[in-house]
Amino acid sequence: MMASSYNAKEEDGHHSGAVGPGGAGTVKIKKPDNTAFKQQRLPAWQPILTAGTVLPAFFVIGLIFIPIGIGLFVTSNNIKEFEIDYTGMEESSPCYVCAHNYSWNNTTPCICLIPFVLDQPFESNVFMYYGLSNFYQNHRRYVKSRDDSQLNGDKTSLLNPSKECEPYRKSNGLSIAPCGAIANSLFNDTLELIYNFPNGTTITIPLMRKGIAWWTDKHVKFRNPGGNDNNLTTAFAGTAKPLNWGKPVYELDPSDPDNNGFINEDFIVWMRTAALPTFRKLYRIIQKKKDNMMPTLPQGNYTLNITYNYPVRSFDGQKRMILSTISWMGGKNPFLGIAYITVGSVCFFLGVVLLIIHHKYGSRNNNADIPN
Amino acid sequence: MCKFLRYFFYKNFAFTLVHFWYSFFSGFSSQVAYEDWFITLYIVCYSSLPVLLVGLLDQDVGDKLSLKFPKLYLPGQQGSLFNYKNFFISLCHGIFTSLIIFFIPYGAFLQTMGQDGKAPSDYQSFAVVTASSLIITVNLQISLDTSYWTFVNCFAVLGSIAIYFGIMFDIHSAGIHVLFPSAFTFTGVASNALRQPYLWLTIILTVGISLLPVICIQFLYKTLQPSVGDKVQRNRRKYEAEEEEKKKPTPFQRGRRSRRSAYAFSHSQGYADLIASGRSFRQRPQGRRNPQESIREAPQAENI
Repeated sequence: MMASSYNAKEEDGHHSGAVGPGGAGTVKIKKPDNTAFKQQRLPAWQPILTAGTVLPAFFVIGLIFIPIGIGLFVTSNNIKEFEIDYTGMEESSPCYVCAHNYSWNNTTPCICLIPFVLDQPFESNVFMYYGLSNFYQNHRRYVKSRDDSQLNGDKTSLLNPSKECEPYRKSNGLSIAPCGAIANSLFNDTLELIYNFPNGTTITIPLMRKGIAWWTDKHVKFRNPGGNDNNLTTAFAGTAKPLNWGKPVYELDPSDPDNNGFINEDFIVWMRTAALPTFRKLYRIIQKKKDNMMPTLPQGNYTLNITYNYPVRSFDGQKRMILSTISWMGGKNPFLGIAYITVGSVCFFLGVVLLIIHHKYGSRNNNADIPN
Repeated sequence: MCKFLRYFFYKNFAFTLVHFWYSFFSGFSSQVAYEDWFITLYIVCYSSLPVLLVGLLDQDVGDKLSLKFPKLYLPGQQGSLFNYKNFFISLCHGIFTSLIIFFIPYGAFLQTMGQDGKAPSDYQSFAVVTASSLIITVNLQISLDTSYWTFVNCFAVLGSIAIYFGIMFDIHSAGIHVLFPSAFTFTGVASNALRQPYLWLTIILTVGISLLPVICIQFLYKTLQPSVGDKVQRNRRKYEAEEEEKKKPTPFQRGRRSRRSAYAFSHSQGYADLIASGRSFRQRPQGRRNPQESIREAPQAENI
């Protein structure tokens, strides 16, 4: 290519193509068009990583990450959380009897009472979770075992669920509603909180059972067949209850038609499978007192009243109850705060190191020119 | 082209190995760590266009400067830009990125709850967070690798990220779930998960940890062991100014132009250039550097 004023490519093409009759134009010239795009002459910005951009960037990022980390860490530390394991594996636990006497056809539920003490009062809304360990809700076969059309209220899927639900698809010739392994393993322990006043009287703390599921789940994804206003018993006619359930789906909360059937919030929360084998799910909400004078959960003695229905011993699982307050960043998790502080500090330190390296070696290389 | 290959391997390793790490926590049941639609669209839609444009349009050094510094062609002859070692480095980089993309959200999700108390530690939110971190990381990585930023490159990178979020919000919307309940099961996840500032902070941290070591290492290489390309890039403006200087005609060269061609009034260039270009001439002595005579093609002795 020539560095002169006319384009060499045209010249080359001209030579190869114009040897024959030049004016007739019958020879097809294969050269690419002389546009900026095809000749790679588009206007461009060509940044390079100089010390002037990299070093300030490292310092700035370090200076931004460290306060974010400190903010997250401090917020996490201010969140109050209380956890109590009630699996009942050790002999001293009140739930030991319930854990070891589990049998399929228990008509009388096994109840255990665990006393605990809250050292600090819990202000504002308190959230009550149940936690499970070693429960692989993220196992592939388990995750697939559901029928979303059926849960969306589709009539045909209600009576003919998808094959993915096998072996929890039909029972005694009737289709199971809701089908699948996820629904079958619904968590069915009942937890109650009782506060023991110092003078001996007790009060059961009111627990809200609605408002625990995602709005989109409750109103879009899960629908009862035949709409919400119908009699659910007739809507679910011709279906059977899941094998491990004590009562059918239309009796999950008979007192409230907005929380019965597929749109029962405990059921919806369970059906939202967890990512990791140790997880927590929202169970109830304890609302803050209207007058804001008393803390939601004053400090003192409490009793956890458990109706122990859910067997976890067979897979070495564990069950926990967690009480927690919430902040703008969610629950108590110092990981992100510590990670940000660490990354910010490392970044800042690297910035200093690179500055030193640049001073010592950078200027030497800048002056070195390339032999032509 | 080597950049294209290296990046392609890197982004696919980063994408795939997350499943490997996740399998340790999902009972080795080969549960996917992303949404199924994301897996389908990742290779086709979310990450292919920027790297294609880099393969087509990227120039580390302009064409004029490439001719001026023939040493720039050495790496191509020596095969030093893509060999087993480079592939291995891409692999390690992909492994490192996949570790970050999985384990930072893992730590954040381990016992977290959402702003409104509803636990976002469900599988679908986890999938959205890892997928978003991955898309932002690989697109910013290609931005770091691009050395010739045209508007199409910019459009491709930003467009890929925008398409990802656009499509994700679409397939997580309520409308599409009503139409196809079994095919699109991630209803409401994008809006619920990406509403939480905690998850955005997780994504930012993941992207930061993935990219900062790369910037650091690239900077160290350019400072301590700059390649010929790096040196040319650094002084690009200086060299280009020199080129411009040489191109300007020296004032006392009268009569030169007219000697080039006898066809003073021809419509086309004619064959005068065949003579005037010096291609059929003997090699001139190296001392003469006359831009008007287009001698650049002649001195083959300067090339290696």
